[in-house]
Amino acid sequence: MSRKLGALVLAMGILVGAMGIKTVLASNSKGTVVIANGPAPMPTPR
Amino acid sequence: MPGPIDLIIWFLGTAFELAFVVCSLARKSFLRYFFLNLYLLLSTTASIGRFFILWRYGQSSDQYMYFYFYSDALLTVALFVALISLYSHVLGELRAGEYVKWGAVFLLLGTAGFSYAVVAQSANRLSTSFAYELSQNLYFVGLVLTYILWGAVLKLRETRTRPVQIILSLGLYFSGYAASYALANFSGKHSIIQYICPALGCFLPLSWSLTMLRYTDESRLVPAQLVAVPR
Repeated sequence: MSRKLGALVLAMGILVGAMGIKTVLASNSKGTVVIANGPAPMPTPR
Repeated sequence: MPGPIDLIIWFLGTAFELAFVVCSLARKSFLRYFFLNLYLLLSTTASIGRFFILWRYGQSSDQYMYFYFYSDALLTVALFVALISLYSHVLGELRAGEYVKWGAVFLLLGTAGFSYAVVAQSANRLSTSFAYELSQNLYFVGLVLTYILWGAVLKLRETRTRPVQIILSLGLYFSGYAASYALANFSGKHSIIQYICPALGCFLPLSWSLTMLRYTDESRLVPAQLVAVPR
């Protein structure tokens, strides 16, 4: 149980860190979508 | 149809993705790096599917948009699983498999929940918005996870060349993605970004293929030498 709890706390910490970085980078956001999976050209989301 | 530069990047990227799988098979490492191979096989399949849909319906069609974003969400989850499998490679000797498994499940569910909470307000095309929001959020989670993994590589003095090179490539890939994201948000001009992101999609399979081709499982290096040692 404590292992799962430790993993949960770590996972939440990582999620908060990741979303924090995203928020900082998107501080001047224009609602841009950037996708980098594979080399195909990206369509415009509607 | 996209321009010639887009098409060249696209075909090269798909060829590199396939090259990694071929190199893995030739080096008898397919099962050892199964989830990396699975990700690139899925990416190749998605790439071929995207090409046929784009060729038939056009880049601005709904069909291409839906296929692109749904396949992208699937690919990002596959990349996340591949990254977690690298954790198992590096932390294998610590018998931390249980932690890694539960941590990955919580992280994936947490990211999905967060993405849903962000897009829940938008009434139209909720599923498409969710697909690309999840994809983008998982990229940033992947960025943090890769840097933590690199810290573990240095701390544990991992010497196997292949995992080290693969993790370094992933770090560059995610960092490049984060830089593109920042650039796109700051400049708002997509002229360069539209080439950078597909080029990143070429870089990852190319660097992994070169790693697979040049090194064997017995190859060793000392990544701790890359870190400045205090005197």
